[in-house]
Amino acid sequence: MFDRGLKNFSQPKDALSGYIFMAPTIIILGLFVLLPILISLFLAFYRIQILGDFNYRFIGFKNFIRLTNDERVWIAMRNTVEYVAIVVPTQTIIALGLALILNAKLKGKNWFKIIFFMPTVTSSAVLTLIFLWMYNSNGLINSILAFLGLPTYNWIGDPNVALKAITIMNIWSTAPLFMVIYLAALQDIPESLYEAAAIDGANWWDKLFYITLPSLKSVTFFVVVMGLVGTFQLFDQSYIFSRGTGGPNNSTLTVVLLIYQYAFKSLDLGYAAAIALILALSIAITTLIQRYFFSEKAN
Amino acid sequence: MTARQVARPGVVTITLSGWSNLNEKQLLQKVLRDFEATHPHIKVKYDVIADEYMDVLKTRLIGETAADAFYLEAFAAPEIMLPGVLEPLNSYISEEFNLADFYPQFLQAFQREKIIYGLPKDYSTLALFYNKKAFQSVGLSQPPKTWEQLREYAKKLTIDRDRDGRVDRYGFALVPELARQVFLIKAFGGELIDSNGEAAFAAPESLKGLQLLVDLYRLDKSAAQPSDVGTSSASEMFGQEKVAMAIDGPWLIPYLKETFPQLEYATVEVPIINQKKGTMAYTVAYVMNQKSKFKAATWELISYLTGQEGMQGWTSQGSVFPTRKSVTDALQYERHPLYSPFIAGAEYSTIWQLNENLPIILNNFNNQFISAIIGKQSLADAMKKAQETANKEIALSK
Repeated sequence: MFDRGLKNFSQPKDALSGYIFMAPTIIILGLFVLLPILISLFLAFYRIQILGDFNYRFIGFKNFIRLTNDERVWIAMRNTVEYVAIVVPTQTIIALGLALILNAKLKGKNWFKIIFFMPTVTSSAVLTLIFLWMYNSNGLINSILAFLGLPTYNWIGDPNVALKAITIMNIWSTAPLFMVIYLAALQDIPESLYEAAAIDGANWWDKLFYITLPSLKSVTFFVVVMGLVGTFQLFDQSYIFSRGTGGPNNSTLTVVLLIYQYAFKSLDLGYAAAIALILALSIAITTLIQRYFFSEKAN
Repeated sequence: MTARQVARPGVVTITLSGWSNLNEKQLLQKVLRDFEATHPHIKVKYDVIADEYMDVLKTRLIGETAADAFYLEAFAAPEIMLPGVLEPLNSYISEEFNLADFYPQFLQAFQREKIIYGLPKDYSTLALFYNKKAFQSVGLSQPPKTWEQLREYAKKLTIDRDRDGRVDRYGFALVPELARQVFLIKAFGGELIDSNGEAAFAAPESLKGLQLLVDLYRLDKSAAQPSDVGTSSASEMFGQEKVAMAIDGPWLIPYLKETFPQLEYATVEVPIINQKKGTMAYTVAYVMNQKSKFKAATWELISYLTGQEGMQGWTSQGSVFPTRKSVTDALQYERHPLYSPFIAGAEYSTIWQLNENLPIILNNFNNQFISAIIGKQSLADAMKKAQETANKEIALSK
């Protein structure tokens, strides 16, 4: 079937109509994705005066040298990596767990699906505001902790805790999205495999480790990569949490927030583009490493 | 049917951008209506930027879609007082406008090398608010006059009514932000920046003033930050009676009137530190966009709003104060019990303004000062680190 499709496309007339159909997408992607990427590559090597009398000059690798000396870049990197390292595994495991529960023959599981999925469809800005309220020193979360006799925290004001507060909130709100993806994949695993395994005397754990998890491998790769890309780009939550400052004491400063600060607060577009480039490279490298590990195991 | 207005020939519409709360908006709209009535050839479109004013403004200036006239806060002014952004106003100002009527310190904030980029529309200063009932309940009859008294009173005023180990009311509201603390840095002869424009706030004299706050918070435990008590500002802390004293601006007065009308409070000048008076002042100007197509009309608007009549209308409700001496006299604010400490403060205040390096200095100071307040490092170490990092960033950004 695929062959036939390809052959048809090789005829110039069909190819043309194909491109015409794709034109809206190509134009939009080109204009709003590809072109900005190319421009930002170019910007990273310039110093640009954008307010008032416009001028720019080529400064070679100066922006990148500045970046290595800029303490805030490293703090932002460290915060982001810490955040990614906690969020991605946790949300993947929770998503898988929730999907397994929902895949079992539960009563009223459609209701659970809706309830679990709620946080994902809610706008992250609204969620953050609600959480800010709950994280308030005299708010819901501290009241519950105090009621249970557990220590309470200054979730928003304490630099040691602020990033964790955002971490918890994000795991809670993004895990359900991946749960749905896992759930779809789980329903694709043929029932006959489990039946055959049951006849061979496999228990629930055996089925999980030898049938379910291996079948979910490609989906897990997808979930982890999407999780990485999403978490590396953490911005709106820390922006709202800290009112754009990345405080207290730089503890919620993420790389994207830093890029925003340099681009729109300091109007230093070249430098912001240089940091963005480094971020893009980090995501690409992490994804490649992942891919290597996942394909290694497949062989 | 008749209400619909048709643009008449010869009438220009100009845009004015600012930030505002509901109160201010109504007041400004009234002043603008008066302007339109006396200047029938000009219509003013008032455009409110709800949040992140400077970010939005800068983006619009770059995109050449900014308003003809707009608000500019003194601390943000050095960033955009650049060639090609703001229209110099010197040539517009006539004898009749009476520039000498302005308080010079506020006028200077919007000047660069004798070029006037903006005319200050109002100012506010900080004063000490104190809760009268709280003072009575611990047997205090007078507000503190010196910082030593403030410290002593704050200790007395900090109480834990139900003895559960969580303080119910603190003595003093601490806002760990540079915008509020520059006068403390100066109290013992320190400076925020040196003559080269680099950060210098880690000098021993500067630390002495800041240490006063750290002592309240760490040693006496008689002060709280807004987030410690589940609020977002000193105003909220004072209104909710989480603190008995707060150094805050006149904007707190209408807020208390609306939200906490029962609260009994008074204002006095900021207590004397090192035998000197000190406070912060914040001023905002009207400036003209150099890209404006209707400069003559825009000047008519700015000169009306910063002229005697417009300024008196705008500052008549006391949440901000007039920058013209004649208007201050006309409104008799120095006799008003709540406003007089703010008016007195204008004379010896430190204006919240620096140079184009302010964002870097501000950010590093705020970050490290918090860590000193919460006891992660000593004030001297924190400030040294903030100063070094700030100066490194300033050098790199050149």
